Amino acid sequence: LPMAFRDVNARRHIGLQQLSALALAGRTLLGPMKSCKFIVDESTNQSTLICSAVRLIESLDLTSAAGQLLNETIQAQNREFRTGMSTLLFLIGAWSNAVLECLQQNVPVSAIVSVMSEGLNSCCERVQCLQISIHDVNKELCSSSVRPNALKSKTCQIGCDSLLNPHIFLYVQKDISAPEEVIPVNPCSHQEDCSNFNKRPLSSLASFGSIASLVKPVGDRSTSWISGSGVIASSCNKQKLTHSRYFSTSRKCHFSSQQGSFRGYLSGPSADPCECYGFGHLAMALSHGNQTSVKLLQSIVAYQRERAECSGSSQFNIAGIVTCCLLGLPESYSCVTPGFVTLVSPEQTTVIKYFEDKPLRILLMDGDLTEQYRHLGFNRPRNVRTILEHPSLPEGRADLWLSSTLDILISFEVNLVLVKGNVCENLMERCIANSILVIGSVTRDVLCAFGEVTSAQPVTYLTQLNTSCVGSGAQVGLWKACDGRAMDLGELVPVRIEVRGIPLLTAVLTTTVASKMQLIEDQFWTLAYRLHHALHDKKVFLGGGAVELLCLSHIQMLAKQPLQPSNKNAVREFHNPGLAASATEYTSVVLQALASGWKQYLSVVMCNTAEVASELEACTSVDHHLKKAAECGSPSAYILKAFRRGDLLRGGSSPFADHGEGLKVYDNVTAKTEAWRRALDLVLLVLQTDAEIITGPKRNQLVNSHVSSEFMFL
Amino acid sequence: MSRLEAKKPPLFISEPLTKDTVSQSLTLLNKILKSCYGPAGRLKQLHNGVGGYVCTTSQSSAIFSRLSVSHPVLRVLTASIQNHISRFSDCGLFTAILCCSMIENFKSLNIATCTVVKISKHLLSLCMDYLKSEACGCRVSVDFSSLETLLCLVRSVLRSKPACMLNKPEVDHLTVLILKAFLFTVPCHVETNAVLGKCVIVPVKGRRVVDSTVLPGLLIETPEIQLAKPLTVKRSCSNMIKMALFCVSMSGDLFSAEEGTITVHHGISLEKSELNHLLNVGKQLVNDEVGLVVCQKVIHPTLKQYLEENNIMAVDRAGLSLMEPLSRMTGSKPIASVHLLSPSCYGSLKDVRIQSFASKCFMHLIPNDAVVCSLILCNRNETAWDELKHACETAEHVLQLTIKEPLALLGGGCTETHLASYIRHKSCSLPTSGFKDLDCSRTQYQLVADGFCRSLESVACSLNHDDGEILTDMVYGHCWFVTSGFSSVSNWSDLVSKCGCGINGNTENLNWRLLQGQFGSAIIQGCPKESSGKVADFLTLDCFAAKCSGLQVALETASLILDLSYVIEDQN
Repeated sequence: LPMAFRDVNARRHIGLQQLSALALAGRTLLGPMKSCKFIVDESTNQSTLICSAVRLIESLDLTSAAGQLLNETIQAQNREFRTGMSTLLFLIGAWSNAVLECLQQNVPVSAIVSVMSEGLNSCCERVQCLQISIHDVNKELCSSSVRPNALKSKTCQIGCDSLLNPHIFLYVQKDISAPEEVIPVNPCSHQEDCSNFNKRPLSSLASFGSIASLVKPVGDRSTSWISGSGVIASSCNKQKLTHSRYFSTSRKCHFSSQQGSFRGYLSGPSADPCECYGFGHLAMALSHGNQTSVKLLQSIVAYQRERAECSGSSQFNIAGIVTCCLLGLPESYSCVTPGFVTLVSPEQTTVIKYFEDKPLRILLMDGDLTEQYRHLGFNRPRNVRTILEHPSLPEGRADLWLSSTLDILISFEVNLVLVKGNVCENLMERCIANSILVIGSVTRDVLCAFGEVTSAQPVTYLTQLNTSCVGSGAQVGLWKACDGRAMDLGELVPVRIEVRGIPLLTAVLTTTVASKMQLIEDQFWTLAYRLHHALHDKKVFLGGGAVELLCLSHIQMLAKQPLQPSNKNAVREFHNPGLAASATEYTSVVLQALASGWKQYLSVVMCNTAEVASELEACTSVDHHLKKAAECGSPSAYILKAFRRGDLLRGGSSPFADHGEGLKVYDNVTAKTEAWRRALDLVLLVLQTDAEIITGPKRNQLVNSHVSSEFMFL
Repeated sequence: MSRLEAKKPPLFISEPLTKDTVSQSLTLLNKILKSCYGPAGRLKQLHNGVGGYVCTTSQSSAIFSRLSVSHPVLRVLTASIQNHISRFSDCGLFTAILCCSMIENFKSLNIATCTVVKISKHLLSLCMDYLKSEACGCRVSVDFSSLETLLCLVRSVLRSKPACMLNKPEVDHLTVLILKAFLFTVPCHVETNAVLGKCVIVPVKGRRVVDSTVLPGLLIETPEIQLAKPLTVKRSCSNMIKMALFCVSMSGDLFSAEEGTITVHHGISLEKSELNHLLNVGKQLVNDEVGLVVCQKVIHPTLKQYLEENNIMAVDRAGLSLMEPLSRMTGSKPIASVHLLSPSCYGSLKDVRIQSFASKCFMHLIPNDAVVCSLILCNRNETAWDELKHACETAEHVLQLTIKEPLALLGGGCTETHLASYIRHKSCSLPTSGFKDLDCSRTQYQLVADGFCRSLESVACSLNHDDGEILTDMVYGHCWFVTSGFSSVSNWSDLVSKCGCGINGNTENLNWRLLQGQFGSAIIQGCPKESSGKVADFLTLDCFAAKCSGLQVALETASLILDLSYVIEDQN
């Protein structure tokens, strides 16, 4: 009897309950203000800080089938986009709960599946009107930011540091009071601005700039309209953080570092941020508050733009970025360095010092540099015996390989060897003695970048070497931090390898807290990929909850007219014709379930950002927006307007509501809609599952275990 | 010291079907399979229970390949279903459910097995004759000059696999792609015996389904190729690319002598001599003006470097599955030894390009006339992709079977109910001489026929999973679904809109009756008519050949199992 079989589908679906329980752990990871979690390994007592759904899922026990599928889904989103995993995890939980409720109300499974799937499809089409092309966004961001970066970051700073840095504050005030452009605005929206403005308690410190922009809502019915919104007002009491300041990775804890990098290494390329064809502002708008990464990315963008102008290559190339993590330096030392920065052993520093400022001949190897190494697919013969006829040879075989290898390197005058895999320890020593720098574990992308500019061709064996394989023009030096000091971090030394014109940048990430290293690296890559995907999509969504809000209002509309002919047809065509009646009958219940996912999403984001005191208050605020959107007639126009004003997702009723931080937030289009789709797919996949079939050895354990009554055996 | 153990006597089980464990297992298996059936079928998670890969599926091929049953009776059943699946890909669940239902229905009849078998074989032949006759009311002929019926066939296959997680636009997109891929494989110039080409599925997991696409020719994944490098291929005089295809490893390792040892003098390197030999092969390839070398396995980096220095593109690790289509497409004969290189082995190609798709990089080999194509298949996650791959293969197979026999059967349960109606009608009108031939009484005949029809109808009933009602009409014998909660309503015509296959609308009074629970009541059935409705855009259609075979396999397997009187198990 080799198969066990378990019925999972009761009214209380086990799989969905598992999903909802697992997803609950990720609630605080949602939104721009995340709370991190400490993951403690009980066996080693080591702890790491995690701040993303991927890392959370990696550290959870997921042996159940639903858990496995959840893991697979999150990993797939991570591989594809590197962003949207927290949204995905959250919606999986929210929709699982909503579907469970539908089951409680006796809604047939096929109706849930078809209506939810159609509903999501319809929403994804509807929210297309909140997409803005990259070109328009850039134009808008650059034109609207009057002294954009300086202003933004400093207005932020007032909120936190004004008491500490009065002089900075004064500086800002002066800065802002410089004459602003005044742009005529649409009278109605102008009025609204004024009324809003009057309602607010004006602190004497607040200053505002009227920002106008031309908005073309894509695919929307309303014609282009001009909004004069985005009043920049900064007041001292705007930050209402309830999170521990140690654990929050939001703006607050990054200010010192940001300031540092401003003055330091970075200030070069990114100091004049407004010639922004390089997407620096876009990076800021996509960052959702992660300042260190923004700075790094902005300077990467600036470097790559410079290069692109010379060579005409693409403007943002994510393959040309590597990271190097330095533990032991304060976070303010994070910076971007052209070329390749990596860590080497202290013994090699002598070679590096010897090489300083000399052009080097470089060799690239795409395997290991050891005697035993053979290319992949080579099968070592097992049955060959070597016999020695003259037993008086002085040298051993290993030495023979070492010296011949070294001979080859010396005869081709190679100074620098970059190896994809491992390097033989003995060879490394001999190379140091002969002033050859050998660096192992170099990724393929880095090898390719060096190959491209030095015309070196990667080889697998040194015997393949001929003169055309060796490149030239590489330079090596110790990596120096922004204050010009060479770093000595004890065991390993950062070294920088560069070639003129190399399309490679290293983001050097520093921190003194070991458990934060991974987190910082993750955050950097998340932002880098957000920019990459935004440019790839050629469009972005309005952020800050605008898209979710429109989905909600769209569903409200669909639910009110469940028997609308077009809607009915859509359901009928898709599903079994006979089942269409059932689908329409339950439409509004199921649509509400779909909507509840986004509603919870919005309210949890608001709770996490501490804009509201409770989830109830958040829900009220969302309802308030929905009502106003419905009254407005064109929900998308209302949402667009609210977005311009920057008062989406800020507890409208809160007296401290800070309208118009001036920071516009955008989201990735594909990553977001794909996260929705993946979340719903998983929930529906689990929903439609009615049985687990367990095969293999585990089944025999089940026969004898105490849970055997839950199973049937074939 | 060796110990001898006495042999255990074989286990002898008589009348296996009367045993509780067997009938329970059969019922359970039937329940599992029924719950999987159709577009609204429930899915099964197949896994090892300790955190391994979870396969979520409702397809018979996936379930039967992983399911291991121990009882000989069940093994007979699964073996014959798997055999059917390997030949036809489609209608596996239909066959299995029909077979289980027949066993259950016939077992409870209390009629001698041989009589049941004889009568049911007669009924099967009635069915088969009807299905093959022009008068058959549940089949449509497939017109290859228009796409509509073909699209319906493919769409029906895709829609019946809910674990693929496709929405309507995605189903439409893939339906067109699969048909396009199939049309690529049909040769343009038909000689006496035309052979269909091949569609190779290239996996791209993690992407949206709508990113899937079809390309003529073959794709070989090549991670090392840099996009920046311009592609230079040496072409022969007729502007074609000469190609050599190796199915032997060129990695430079030694021939794998299985036993014994080779003794070598110190200072002699077998590796080096092997590499030198490979380089000689390379030299000959250069002399023969070959432009592209494809190797199933690995090419030694040194040889690769040599070839590339001589402007020959070298692609390795093409994999076994590509060899047959590669050889077919280019006309090259796979070279099985590096010691014998005959110029007649070379093939030719029209063009070679680099295609990058998602994060993968492919070498795209474009032939002169494409009977081979690649379907780049995307789906968001692993388990849904696997399911989709099976579904696409099934759809391709269905099209291949249909081009041989351009007929299709109405799906959505309509063929089953229609056949049942036909058999009910026929069984009333069998002349007395027929009973004599079958060696049975009229009552026996009626009972078996009723069991046969109920088995067919129970397959149609399995399409419904949300406890609603299933009806059949007395005019066309089609199958109609009604949602739950309305069973008290007397007038069915208010609740139904279209029959299961979609060919009949609720336009006239069709005199519906409930399919389930009509035991005992004799149904007087007229001969079901052929539907007057024209072949609409959204018909559910099934593969004719697969369903006919399924019907036969189900009945023959059921007869075999019913006829089992002893199981003798060797316990050693």
